[in-house]
Amino acid sequence: MKRLLQIPIWTTVAVLDAVALGTIAFHRGEPINATWFVLAAACSYLVAYRLYSAFIAAKLLALDNSRATPAERRDDGRDFVPTNKWVLFGHHFAAIAGPGPLVGPTLAAQFGYLPGTLWLIAGAAFAGCVQDFVILFCSIRRDGKTLGEMARDEVSKRGGLIAQLAVLTIMIILLAVVALVVVNALKSSPWATFTLAMTIPIALLLGVYLRYFRPGRVLEASFIGVALVLFVVVAGQWVADSPYLAKLFTLSGVTLAFVIIAYGFAASALPVWLLLAPRDYLSAFIKAGAIFSLAAGILLVRPQVLMPPLTRFVDGSGPVFAGKIFPFCFITIACGAISGFHSLISSGTTPKMIQREGHARFIGYGAMLLESFVGVMAMVAACAMTPGVYFAINSPASIVGATPEAAAATISSWGYPLSAGTMTGLAHAVGEQTLLNRAGGAPSLAVGMAQIFSSTIGGERLLSIWYHFAIMFEALFILTVLDAGTRVGRFMIQELGGRVWKPMGRMNWMPGILLSSALIVGAWGYFLYQGVVDPLGGINSLWPLFGISNQLLAAVALVVATTILLKMGRLKWIWVTLLPMAWLVIITMTASYQKIFSPNARIGFLSQANALAAQIAAGKIAAAKIADTHRNIFNLRLDAVVTAVLAAMILVLLVEALAQWYAILTRDRAPVLQETPYVATQWAEGD
Amino acid sequence: MLALWLRLDDALQNFWRGLRQWSGDSAYETYLACAERQRAKKPLSATEFYVEQLNRKYSRPNRCC
Repeated sequence: MKRLLQIPIWTTVAVLDAVALGTIAFHRGEPINATWFVLAAACSYLVAYRLYSAFIAAKLLALDNSRATPAERRDDGRDFVPTNKWVLFGHHFAAIAGPGPLVGPTLAAQFGYLPGTLWLIAGAAFAGCVQDFVILFCSIRRDGKTLGEMARDEVSKRGGLIAQLAVLTIMIILLAVVALVVVNALKSSPWATFTLAMTIPIALLLGVYLRYFRPGRVLEASFIGVALVLFVVVAGQWVADSPYLAKLFTLSGVTLAFVIIAYGFAASALPVWLLLAPRDYLSAFIKAGAIFSLAAGILLVRPQVLMPPLTRFVDGSGPVFAGKIFPFCFITIACGAISGFHSLISSGTTPKMIQREGHARFIGYGAMLLESFVGVMAMVAACAMTPGVYFAINSPASIVGATPEAAAATISSWGYPLSAGTMTGLAHAVGEQTLLNRAGGAPSLAVGMAQIFSSTIGGERLLSIWYHFAIMFEALFILTVLDAGTRVGRFMIQELGGRVWKPMGRMNWMPGILLSSALIVGAWGYFLYQGVVDPLGGINSLWPLFGISNQLLAAVALVVATTILLKMGRLKWIWVTLLPMAWLVIITMTASYQKIFSPNARIGFLSQANALAAQIAAGKIAAAKIADTHRNIFNLRLDAVVTAVLAAMILVLLVEALAQWYAILTRDRAPVLQETPYVATQWAEGD
Repeated sequence: MLALWLRLDDALQNFWRGLRQWSGDSAYETYLACAERQRAKKPLSATEFYVEQLNRKYSRPNRCC
């Protein structure tokens, strides 16, 4: 009877899905309501979860609930802790959901709402969720081994080293690009800068409270901290209104970059309980609150999506970043569709806490679906504002001009009407001097969120508070990624350095800590500075580099997963991981090639460097700017080298894996699977 | 009515327990229970456990982009 009922229910969901997807795909002319996006995404996720993830669980992975998980076998109350599946879902989601699914879709909105939305939904269902789910499964079967360890054990020793180097490189690019997003959101904004600066003493206060007064009482400390953070969001307005304080907190992009670099160094070298951990607690609560509020706001307000389905910038001439939909839409939206970084979480803490193998489907596949939904909401928030306003916020001054009048004239000439008064009025309404040229996605998303929130609570009067709440929320959890990532990068450098010189490998050796912290901060700080002084806004070169590196890591994860599944004899269903892997290799290789060699100077690093060199040779650069231009040329060539190195890494790994696959398929070599042996669970079915 | 109230009470308790687990608020209690099960001779104090747990947590990727 239950089964009979399921048929009409799932048929209805599938029909609704088809209607909603059809509506957003073929709607032309008038604005479309955001409800269609929510409906299309929700129904697609339900169908994907019900059918595709069940198929993967049953046929490809053959999840076995009778097998004891690492959490049961090695339960130690520390790393290996059997955890309720809903709680672990929350843990896993909090770990994978960073700023990426918010910023990427916002930037990709320059193509119109359609390409990004479809990629978010399909990419998650067929690639991102599959990666997270399969890697989680592989790690559970190996006592929670990391991706690097699995690459070493299952592909080759060189594969393990490549994975480790790829993670470190990606970390450097990632930290630079997220720091750039924060710089662009905070520059010349005393309100936002004050609010974010105050989160540091608040975190220090919580750190001392949790270490000395109430050890480990995270909830009560977080409630106090969140209340204080909300207070400083409001207090920021008083700072912005005070001439002396406003001047103190009005910082240029370059100054902010150095402040953030110093902060990253401190967070890496200071004891973790003092600054890093308490900030993470604050961030986790504010992130959860803001995401749920955004979802509720969209459902309550049901805003109209004003961005057309496709803009004229599908031809690759976009002002936010240059490049055509293929491959750049798929590079720009990494997190939200597929993110290689997730494979580090799926092979990190989560596999050590899972109670049953069967939970891997809900946690691995399900949490990624939810992250994709966050991406769709970010797309809605970005597309709900007037396209002219969107382009004015996200375009660099070198393309649209630095004044409201110039920007309005340029953007209106593209066919997206905008008046200078609209931009000055909006900046005034959100409590800012200007909103122009703030590429990076955070400010435009904050405007979108503020408009949605203020339509629910407070109206125009609270627009500025909501805007700064949204900026604080984005910047706070970006900085959490930044400090946690810097610290992990420091450990990686110490570990790699320890292979060359033993003392470097000692994690509590102070000179080693300081040197490795300086190295990791210096590496991402260099790219950050390069982005801040880049005349094209930095995002144009750094975000695609980040997207390429993140997707390359996803390709590494899927190569490892495919190798393991082949060794398990799952050849019949191998296309489940093989197809997304092939797709990722195609898009990352195409994007890498274009970013290095494209003759279009806005896309190709080398052609842009050559164009600048030609301008110097022709005497077209003013004498005062020649040194800057030489530095810019060097940076562009460095970006080209980094892109080439990343592409080479994945190609080497792919060749190693192909040799393995050939040997397995031709039975030249008996496949050696490094799984932990089967141990039957001691827990009853309902445990 | 009483049954409804009991169910609500149960749901709220589950939610609170879940929230404490999710945030790490009850991590020390979980550790102590495990140490007791395994008859550990000298379990860590709350402060020692808190610092040790943080050092382990933040030495590997635990936050995504």
